[in-house]
Amino acid sequence: MADRNAPQPDLLTNLRTEGDVVLATVRGEIDLHNSPRMRTTLLDVVARTSPKKLVLNLGLVPYMDSSAIAVLVEMLQKLRKIGGKLYLTDLQPRVKGLLEIARLDSIFVIAKDEADALAR
Amino acid sequence: MPKTLLKPDPIRLRIESDTANLKPARQTIEDYALNAGYSREDVDELGLVVNEAIANVIRHAYAGATDRPIEVTASIEGDQSDELHVGIRDWGSGVDPSCLIPKEKDPLVPGGLGLICMEKMMDECHFVSQPDGMLLKMMKRK
Repeated sequence: MADRNAPQPDLLTNLRTEGDVVLATVRGEIDLHNSPRMRTTLLDVVARTSPKKLVLNLGLVPYMDSSAIAVLVEMLQKLRKIGGKLYLTDLQPRVKGLLEIARLDSIFVIAKDEADALAR
Repeated sequence: MPKTLLKPDPIRLRIESDTANLKPARQTIEDYALNAGYSREDVDELGLVVNEAIANVIRHAYAGATDRPIEVTASIEGDQSDELHVGIRDWGSGVDPSCLIPKEKDPLVPGGLGLICMEKMMDECHFVSQPDGMLLKMMKRK
């Protein structure tokens, strides 16, 4: 049904640092098929940069499933261990709704946009 | 809208247990629900639930195997044609996932969110043990 050999676009783009803050934009629909790749990419970013703040812009993520949420939880826990924080910005309604059902909307720091996250 | 568009014919989708099939299967059910007149919000919920159910089959019933069969069915039922019935059939381990989730789920402990979504987003949801696997039956009212 699906072509598992089809080329897969980058999930993380616009990666940049501003001091000890790392910002990145996640793009695309994230499900069990590509969430492992998102996990590997984010683990690499955290390991390389040890950020005090990791700001993930989810404005280009129209859909996420529980496996993607689990990746975000893992990043949150990794960052906490090194004294860092995870900020999620520009959440689309469908993603925000899933975080609320998972009771994670009060555990993640959810900011309106990147500027809001940087100002906190 | 013509009445025929609100009660599309039942569909039966047979896919392999490859995660690459999650998105097309989800979109097929979303399109079916749209054609049946469900709201965008309901369509989104149905799509997520079907995704979670299939993902659970792949991970738990088939332990990650990518070449096992999964059958997804959808139909419109009810006197008012306002019930969308979805079935997810597998020929795997036969474990009922609903028995694995603790009553109080810690949001920071992975696992179980798919089942929580099914319970919250569907009007009916139950696992029916099969001699050779499992059948998940769900229903969402318009």
